[in-house]
Amino acid sequence: MAWEYSEKTRQIFMDAVHGKPGTHMGEIEKPDGFGEHGSIVCGDALRFTFRVRQHATDPLQDVITEARYLTFGCTSAIAASEALCTIIEHGQYTPIQALKVTNQDIVRFLEGLPAQKIHCSVMGAEALESAVFNWAQKRGVDLALAGVQLQTKGEDEGRIVCKCFSVTEPYIRRKIKELNLRTIPDITNAIKAGGACASCHHAPGGLQDLLDEAWGRQPAAGGPLPPVVPLTEAPAGASSFQRFKQIEQVIAQSVRPALQHDGGDIEVVDIKDNLVYCRLSGACAGCMGAQATLKMMVERTLKEEVSEQLRVIAV
Amino acid sequence: MQTIYLDNNATTAVAPEVTAALAPFLADQYFNPSSAYDQARQVSAALQTARHELAVLLGGVTPDQLTFTSGATESNNWAIGGVVRAQPQRRHIVTTAVEHPAVFEVCKELARQGCDVTFLPVDRSGQLDRDAYVRALRPDTLLVTIMLANNETGVLFPVAELARIAHETNPAIIFHTDATQAIGKLPLDLTGEFEHVDLLSLSGHKIHAPKGVGALYAKRGTPLRPLIIGGHQENGRRAGTENVPFIVALGRAARLAADHLAGVDQIRQLRDWLEEAVVRTIPYLEVNGQGARRLPNTLNLSCHYIEGESILYQLNEHGICASSGSACTSGSLEPSHVLKAMHVPFTAMHGSVRFSLSRYTTAAEVDRVIEVFPEVVASLRRISPYWDAARNAPRPTAPQEAPAHPTNH
Repeated sequence: MAWEYSEKTRQIFMDAVHGKPGTHMGEIEKPDGFGEHGSIVCGDALRFTFRVRQHATDPLQDVITEARYLTFGCTSAIAASEALCTIIEHGQYTPIQALKVTNQDIVRFLEGLPAQKIHCSVMGAEALESAVFNWAQKRGVDLALAGVQLQTKGEDEGRIVCKCFSVTEPYIRRKIKELNLRTIPDITNAIKAGGACASCHHAPGGLQDLLDEAWGRQPAAGGPLPPVVPLTEAPAGASSFQRFKQIEQVIAQSVRPALQHDGGDIEVVDIKDNLVYCRLSGACAGCMGAQATLKMMVERTLKEEVSEQLRVIAV
Repeated sequence: MQTIYLDNNATTAVAPEVTAALAPFLADQYFNPSSAYDQARQVSAALQTARHELAVLLGGVTPDQLTFTSGATESNNWAIGGVVRAQPQRRHIVTTAVEHPAVFEVCKELARQGCDVTFLPVDRSGQLDRDAYVRALRPDTLLVTIMLANNETGVLFPVAELARIAHETNPAIIFHTDATQAIGKLPLDLTGEFEHVDLLSLSGHKIHAPKGVGALYAKRGTPLRPLIIGGHQENGRRAGTENVPFIVALGRAARLAADHLAGVDQIRQLRDWLEEAVVRTIPYLEVNGQGARRLPNTLNLSCHYIEGESILYQLNEHGICASSGSACTSGSLEPSHVLKAMHVPFTAMHGSVRFSLSRYTTAAEVDRVIEVFPEVVASLRRISPYWDAARNAPRPTAPQEAPAHPTNH
């Protein structure tokens, strides 16, 4: 897919990777707030730290003075991290005020993001939230008393709906409401859930069910996708046991010793009905002519001693 | 800024000779090749010349076994679907986990419709387990479809051998190969080494012809239903007025490809030069497909702890065009199914970059990449939460999948 980033996104990304003065790449030592979101397995991850100017008596009046990030991810993930830090520092917010910064603010700051990249801005907002939670713990602030409804990690634990990206049911339910997600593509773009194998889209208790519960059932557009038939494993060779033992015996007693005498060897890979698949190895194996001769020799022996029907296939 | 085009597995520049060859057919040679008058006969003769030129590239097969299509995707859809429709009573298909989507998705669709499909796995270097292949063949096996060269990694499968084993097992098994990436990069003799191949798909725009033209080779006698019905063209195998200009272009491009086969070693030398240089200068770098036989023009790398799309974006700031199997460059959120099937370590899965060269690639261009690429990787690692820039190594706390390879010693 060709780049569809705004000029602003492009500029912020290039400034960030080149470490231009005023950008926010890095990590604050002994930070007042620390938050992470994403993982290397999922394709993007953000480590976010901030420092505050502590108020002498009232932690609620702490003001964020410095924000830093380290990001593993694509162009827009890095630009969104940079945008988050700039917005936070510029606003001179208290941590609780900073919670008002949403992924939409980040998108606006970047002058738009392609729909499939919205999750990059959500990642920023999530990391910020967990950093504020971390600050509150350190400063002994009771967020509930301060009037903040902050979801703790524990509350988002529960049944995993999207196994590919490990996204839980409570988290999806919460995000459907918070971010006004109306369709499965909306969910995937914002929080990645359902973006890989797609098996959770229409499964019972899957994304569509959660959307229907949140917003009421929508008229179906094209009906549910047909179920995906599981891929089959290659079956183990099923052959007549007696025939197999006979063949093995002949190979062990007459074929292999003859080959080994000339520095070669034989390995039976499989037997299907009358077909004996062999790997002929050793001194003669490199030579195509010898290969054909060997194959004929093995085949003749097996025909004589086991069955006229047998054929040898070199593997 | 000068463009350095190293994405030739995606598409290639149209050769000037090809443009010149097709031009008359966009001008005064506009006649329908099926018409009766003399003027049309010239156009129809041009089609036959093109068919002959392509037949030569494939080892001198009889030209009437070649049918022109709109490209390899159509050829693959036709070959696989057409074989299944011709013998609906046989339901088993053998393919691999790393096919191009034009084969992979068609097979998955057939599985949904009731076919039984075996997807063979590959190992860490992208190679097939030949024993698993043998075991997968069954009495009801109808079709084997296995690519010749992988589009992402360039890894080659031993298609000539696999086709022979299929036919020795049962002559009724039909062997199809998607040769889109191999054509023009390897000698391909369908009358000799590859005689057991029944169906072969190819595309024009990977060999310096325009997009929108390709062909399917179908060995005489192969049971195959048509995909596009509604006309007598191409001996009734593919209806629709022929795309004459692009078919002429494909013929000319095939002739050029045959002429340039001997020069492929120069492309290989440039690729090896690039590979050696980046492996020497960049730590924690995987060469995907290392240890396997590979196409001479393809280099697929995975950088641990950074993401491929942001690599491409920075390369592009230097005019360099490459591609990536990272999730962020595709419409899906999943990284490449090929790299996943190869069990590339998860810390490197999202950081892949593919450079693919052509006969137009110069040493100066490769040198420029050698200069730029390590700095791009370093800049993204400085920003990565998993990397310690001071030590130029992963942080001790970074997730790791043993064994990682610090390759620059």
